[in-house]
Amino acid sequence: MRTATLSGWHIASRVVAGVVGSYVFTWGFVALASAGLLTAGLEFHEGTNLASMLGLLVYLSALCFAFIAASLARGWLVLAGGGALMTLAGWWLSRSLA
Amino acid sequence: MFANFRLSLTWLHTWFGLVLGFVLMVAFFFGSMSVFDREIDRWSLPETRIAAQPMPSFDHILAQRFAQMTEPEAEQRAAAEKRVTQPLPAQLTASNWNAYTTHRDPVLLTYVGFAVPHSTLPDDTIYAEQTIDPRDGHALHRDQLALGSGFFYPMHFSLHLEWHDIGYWIVGLSAMAMLAALVSGVVMHRKIFREFFTFRPERNPLRSTLDLHNLTGVVALPFHFLWALSGALIFVGIYFPVVGAMMQPVVEAHEHEEALHSGLDHDPSGKPGTLASVDAMVAVAKAHWAGKGMPGEVGFLSVNHVGNSNAYVSIYRDSTDRVASAEGLHFAGATGKVLFEDPPDGPVTTVNAFLVGMHLQQFRHWTLRWLIFIGGIVSCICIATGFIFFVEKRKTVHARQGRAGSRWVDALAVTTVTGMIAATLFVLVANRVLPESLADRDLWQKSAFWGAWLVLLLHAMWRSSALREARRSKAWAEQTWIIAALALAAPLLNALTTGDHLGKTLSAGYWPVAGVDLMLLLTAGIAFVTARRLQRSTTTDDLPVAQEPEHA
Amino acid sequence: MPDTVWTIAALLSAELGMAWLAQAMDVHWRQVRGDAPRPVSRALRPLGYAALIAALVLCLLANTATMAVLVWMMLLAVSAVSVAFVLSWRPRLLAWTWP
Repeated sequence: MRTATLSGWHIASRVVAGVVGSYVFTWGFVALASAGLLTAGLEFHEGTNLASMLGLLVYLSALCFAFIAASLARGWLVLAGGGALMTLAGWWLSRSLA
Repeated sequence: MFANFRLSLTWLHTWFGLVLGFVLMVAFFFGSMSVFDREIDRWSLPETRIAAQPMPSFDHILAQRFAQMTEPEAEQRAAAEKRVTQPLPAQLTASNWNAYTTHRDPVLLTYVGFAVPHSTLPDDTIYAEQTIDPRDGHALHRDQLALGSGFFYPMHFSLHLEWHDIGYWIVGLSAMAMLAALVSGVVMHRKIFREFFTFRPERNPLRSTLDLHNLTGVVALPFHFLWALSGALIFVGIYFPVVGAMMQPVVEAHEHEEALHSGLDHDPSGKPGTLASVDAMVAVAKAHWAGKGMPGEVGFLSVNHVGNSNAYVSIYRDSTDRVASAEGLHFAGATGKVLFEDPPDGPVTTVNAFLVGMHLQQFRHWTLRWLIFIGGIVSCICIATGFIFFVEKRKTVHARQGRAGSRWVDALAVTTVTGMIAATLFVLVANRVLPESLADRDLWQKSAFWGAWLVLLLHAMWRSSALREARRSKAWAEQTWIIAALALAAPLLNALTTGDHLGKTLSAGYWPVAGVDLMLLLTAGIAFVTARRLQRSTTTDDLPVAQEPEHA
Repeated sequence: MPDTVWTIAALLSAELGMAWLAQAMDVHWRQVRGDAPRPVSRALRPLGYAALIAALVLCLLANTATMAVLVWMMLLAVSAVSVAFVLSWRPRLLAWTWP
């Protein structure tokens, strides 16, 4: 493999995106999915468990995505940006639940 | 990352597989050991070599035991003192009493929860724990280390790294890396169906190692995937505590509603109350289960809001015949009347409970549990052959260029494969050799394990100098001899120090100890044969390295 | 007791199924037989899968549904690995599985 043509920074960025960026994305997903499913009427444990279970698969997908994304910029935008947006959306949605 | 998707995933597979593979070896090896945790406990604690016992009488045995457990663990109390807004009172009051046993347990685990007042955490509770003999209620000495459930099992999910739960996080990340390695492995493996049964040991080491890595990875793929995923699922509340962190009002509203619906109050009433006969409640529970066509023993019993007028007793059945654990029955503490039975789980919670139950395999199905054990060993072989392939592929190039990469990986591979097995056997030997009356015997045993593993790491690092000339490190063979010697010594020491030799345990049908001794002897045999083959081939190892095969 | 019988039968069915699926592939047929595959051997693949399904049915006879699926999944892994090892060391042994 030709990692010699990739800078150490690029590799490090991909790894951090894969481990931490995915975590941010997944946090947002679980927040939005929990709030969404509970708003849709699912019972508390049903909704939160489903969001968590899917969250693990989302983390896996995000981890792979960090490495196959066409560019670092796109990878970070989707993972960190998407994660932040979903976190906000989930929090906002949950305010009308309790 | 690279020009194409397959190359990027190959990079992910190689590097995450390598770095987190060392953690995964620990998780899968000690996970396999944990299938037989109770049996290893019996081997390491000879005084508990009795038949499995059902949950004893609460009124006659457990009540006295709980009354004596008035102090939480000193370390937990010290940690709690740092997270309270007002100083802790000298004497904390017990808020819940718990007892847990399974069909494989001769001894009973009891623990008492103490609510921490003025804590910065919601529902903060610290604990006191004791293992007791259910026949008479006497507690096992604090220095007794149950090597299976108390040492190997926590190693499996937390690496014994307790600082801010960092071990849980590392294992969780490695579980995700395992899943990513499986997905990327499938993508990389172009001839996955054609090479499904392919194993060519007669070819060069690079080809045959890759064959074995692919074989063990693919045929047990559903097992690897399900166990890594379910493992992460068990602790998902630690990794993504999203709802608790961001939606606390929703959580509280739910708890309030659940308390109203079930009659089980979330908080103690603060008014004193008495406890009716818990044995009578257990009798009602057993009759109820029998009436539903699932007769059974009590697996878990807890008394909540101890001493309060709204105390309630929760009784759960030991699930020997189902994958998921069973619903609980809750009784009013003061009157002994049934307050609430947990309703059947919804579809999502059922799947969740199935995955967790599958992973923890506490059910009574020896065939399936043995198969799970074999699956875990197959996973270890998959990970180990991954390391070996990594080194084989690069050792010649690295030797020529004077790079240390394959030296380090080889040294770490020896340490986490042969080293880890040898250290495990060493602690079993230490368990038999250390004097019974030695103070802090549990700490001595743990030190024996970590000390042995450190020595084996140093040995591996020393011997890896052979990689400078692209030759195989002698550490593989030498540590395999050590494994053979220790695996033979352990059952001999068991016979010498306890008198429970195989003749006695086999004729009495005491399988927990006989089984461990037999597995140790089998390990010694396999290690002996392997060490001899490794010894012979190391001397003929100065063959030119064949060209590397492409990734299949 | 009968449960053990069903489980052993399931294992044997899985082993047979894997052995047939392996021989359905040219390279492994030649390892086992030393000659070219015959037309009737085209039945090996569907029969192989059928034997694996039969193993599942046998597991269901011995266990509750959720346990049965897990036992079956593990038996498939064990039988695949064992057939692979037999192919590596004594391929001729598999000649017994097909006329």
